[in-house]
Amino acid sequence: MSAKNTWKLHRWSTILLLPLVAYLFIKIIHLSTLPYQLILSELSNLWGVGFILIFTVLGLIHMNTGVHEILDDYVHSDVVKRILNVIISIFFLLILIFVCLSLLLIFIG
Amino acid sequence: MVQFNLPDNSKLTDGDYYKSEKSNGNSKKFKIYRWSPDDGKNPRMDTYEVDLDDCGPMVLDAVMKIKSEIDTSLTFRRSCREGICGSCAMNIDGTNTLACTKAISDVKGDIKIYPLPHMPVIKDLVTNLKTLYKQLKSIKPWLMNKKQNANDTENIQSRNDREKLDGLYECILCACCSTSCPSYWWNSDKYLGPAVLLQSYRWLQDSRDEERKERLKELDDTFKVYRCHTIMNCTQACPKGLNPAKAIAGIKQMIAQQ
Repeated sequence: MSAKNTWKLHRWSTILLLPLVAYLFIKIIHLSTLPYQLILSELSNLWGVGFILIFTVLGLIHMNTGVHEILDDYVHSDVVKRILNVIISIFFLLILIFVCLSLLLIFIG
Repeated sequence: MVQFNLPDNSKLTDGDYYKSEKSNGNSKKFKIYRWSPDDGKNPRMDTYEVDLDDCGPMVLDAVMKIKSEIDTSLTFRRSCREGICGSCAMNIDGTNTLACTKAISDVKGDIKIYPLPHMPVIKDLVTNLKTLYKQLKSIKPWLMNKKQNANDTENIQSRNDREKLDGLYECILCACCSTSCPSYWWNSDKYLGPAVLLQSYRWLQDSRDEERKERLKELDDTFKVYRCHTIMNCTQACPKGLNPAKAIAGIKQMIAQQ
């Protein structure tokens, strides 16, 4: 991806995440007042699952571009940068798998 | 990786103390960074007492007085003494600025003077600006216009187009902004830095220039422009009151709109 598109992606993900983070806080406060079964049903409906997936994907995109900015700033060795890139990719992949499994478990009940 | 500690041979030591003999109480201490490549010693901070009753009002006046009357070995650049040439850029009282436009009375207490930060020192307050000039050359800081060359006629510019260059053409390339930028400290070999990017924006904004697309294509690189994280030290440091951070934002916008 070109430098311009990476920069755009980082900025757009920031803008899109702002209302999502605000909604997440409100939702967490709201969910904390509900009983367990109601929380499960709130999370397992289409809007709940969609929100979590969109938030996770956008969050991971934002974190990924952000971490690469930090690497470009401070890590000057190409070898170290490549190793760190692999570690970061694995870490983000694990987060995505964890979120998908959690959603699946909620869905199954 | 980035080096967070100074190498052993760069650690500062206390230097000599030069007491003012004539002073009648109105004197100020100037602590100045000294290093010479010839003696193999660590850099030191020499202290000079300067009688302010017998000295001009600016820091450069005091530094020149020190050189001519107290210690002739003190090395620094200077030329115009009125903020036009940019030669006397140094770090005074923790801020990069021009010694000729910085008043002694603006600094409370002792005045500490260092060379521009994170630049290779040639001697004392003289830094090596080769990389900066190389980067400046890379952005082709001249008008590229085939029409003008072909017709050999005057290249007229509207008043509005000319106004777009205000706040850009005044840059004197003193390097105060670039050397105050942490991003430039870490990546000065690849990131162009605020001074050069301000110059680049000056040519991108010029209505008479025909190579805008090519110039922007050259700048669309992970390091050349995008190491700027809007820290704004450049704008704060600029002794001419210019805004390099705004110019860099303008470049990013131009690239994004392409």
